[in-house]
Formats: sequence, structure tokens, C-alpha cells
Amino acid sequence: MIPLILGSPLTPLENLLRNVLEWFHGTIGLPWAWAIVAVTICVRLLMVPLAVKQIHSMQAMQAHMPEMKAIQQRYKNDKQKRNEELMKFYRDNNVNPAAPCLPLLVQFPVFIALYLVLRQFSRHPPGGDLSWFGSLVPDITAHANAHWSGYLLLAIYVGSQLASTYFMSTTMDKTQRTMMMILPIAFVPVLVNFPVGLVIYWVTTNLWTVGQGLITRRLVPKKAPPAPKRSSRTPPKEEAQPKDDGAAPAASAESKPAAPAQPRRVKRKKKKARR
Amino acid sequence: MSVVLRVPAYLGVGLVYLYRYTLGVLFPGGCKYHPSCSQYAIDALREYGLVKGVILAGWRLLRCNPWSLGGVDYAHQQRLFK
Repeated sequence: MIPLILGSPLTPLENLLRNVLEWFHGTIGLPWAWAIVAVTICVRLLMVPLAVKQIHSMQAMQAHMPEMKAIQQRYKNDKQKRNEELMKFYRDNNVNPAAPCLPLLVQFPVFIALYLVLRQFSRHPPGGDLSWFGSLVPDITAHANAHWSGYLLLAIYVGSQLASTYFMSTTMDKTQRTMMMILPIAFVPVLVNFPVGLVIYWVTTNLWTVGQGLITRRLVPKKAPPAPKRSSRTPPKEEAQPKDDGAAPAASAESKPAAPAQPRRVKRKKKKARR
Repeated sequence: MSVVLRVPAYLGVGLVYLYRYTLGVLFPGGCKYHPSCSQYAIDALREYGLVKGVILAGWRLLRCNPWSLGGVDYAHQQRLFK
């Protein structure tokens, strides 16, 4: 029912995705399973600039950590008020560590289109290798419960999903986070009826999220100290610059009548100084 | 509003809840605003009905982009429909 409703507006995207998959399979020569992995990586690569923006925001937030903790302490028992105050604080300080919703929505059509393409593949199998890792996963268009490897993939999926939720939900509160960690396990009986290729997409995108999360964690604490340093560094520079400027006019003031010759003299002076 | 007229809006609210416990779980993420976009959609649908609610929720989603600042933004504070 749902594919019927979503099918028609998503047909152009389905065709596009099919063409991209066929390009990876036909031109690059990847088996279908690896073509799915490649498409997933492409989608995530397109989203990297957003992740970079978020990392910058998180780094900027490190400088405000004490104030944020104070807000969290003050409204410990009032979740609503705490969120409100935190959001106000983010806005006032021009930082926001939370991920925006819009880029997330971009992933859904790709995901549904991939589902539609794989469904089409299972009805009319395309030429070429439909297995993954040799005989380990015999057919990526088959349902996950068709072969034992599907269950193995689902187990990997649950693990990767938990890990990616762990990294993605840093701004959530604990109860919400716990719920988000439990629900994917409850989904397994439903996911069993999904094509294996879709599970491959999920595992890939989750592992990417985990990798990105690990890199973010490495990058974020490092930048915390330079923030105040920068502000202290800039004034001496500004002081130093006028000094230099002040010295240059003083030297050229003597030779004011010979204005065109000025640059040459400066150059000579510099050369002398270097020598 | 009579109960019959409210039915489409409640169907919309049902769809948002459906999203929350399906795709929302499979693709975890946060929201730059308080309340979150899905909660805003539910509030807007309840308060302004299906058509206005969908427009308000869509506009909120567009605002929840990487270049916006986020912040506190309740559905009843909207200025699109007065």
C-alpha cells in the first residue's frame, strides 16, 4: 500500500537511483551489493559538509560548557524549561550542536527509492552477480529471512544502529535515548521481510555515522583551549602592526620629496636587513 | 471546530506519530528547535487543522536547516496565519 502511494512521485528518483546503481555495476564493474555500498557512500559524502558544520558548532560550544552545565543543573527537574533555556542559550551564543531535521529528510526518499529498485530487481532479476562475499549472501534482492546470512546481517545492523544512535543522539535526554536504543531491536521482526540490499544500505550508512562520530569526538575536545587564546593573540598583532606601519612612514618621511622612489628604497632596506 | 472537521488533522497527527516510531527510529537525529519538528507538526495540526498545520510544519522543516540558528519556537507563536 505504502509503496503504491509513494511509488508515483518517487519514480524519477527510483530511475535515477537505478541508473546510478547500473553505472556502478556496468561501467565500474562492481557487483550489485558493492554498488549499493558505493551509492550509500556517495549519499553520505554529499552530506559531509553538513557534518563539518556541526563539528564546528560543537567545537564552538566547548567554550560555553560551564554555562551550559549551569543551565542543566538549574532546570534539572523541568525538562521543558531546560530545553527552552538551552535553545535560547544556543541562539544567543550563535552555536547549536543539534543536527537539523531537513538533511535527515533528504535520506528518506533515497532509502524508499532503493527499496523500490530492489523490489523491482527481485521481480525481474538484472544480469550480473547478485551475491555478496561469494556464497555468504546468495541474493541481495531476497528477503533477509531467506538465508541464515540475512540474520547475521540483521545482527550487524542492530549493532551498528545502536552505535550510530549513540553518536547521533548526544543532544537527547536519557529516557529518550534509551527508547531510541531499544526500538531498533523491536523492529527486527519487521526488517526480516526487507530485501538484504536494504540492510546493506543501513549497515553502511550506520557505520559511516559511527566513523564520523568517532572523528567528531577526536576533533571536538582539541579545539577547546585555542578559543580564548585566539582572542588574546589578536590584540598583540594589532599592536604590532601599527608599530610596523609607524616605522615605515617615519623612514619614508625623510624621503618625502622623492615619492616615486619610495618603494625601491623600502625594498633595499628590507634586503639589507635580511643580509 | 466540530469533531468531523477535525478528523483530517488527527489523521495527520497519526502520520507524524507513525513517522516517529518508524523512520524516526531508524534514522536517529536531533532537532535545532524546541519543541522538535515532529512535536511542532503535531501541535500545529491540532491547533490549525490539516491544511494550515501541514504548511506550518513544512515551513518549520525548511527552517530547520544547517544554516539556521534554531531556538525556541512554538506552533502557537506562528505569524503565518493570523
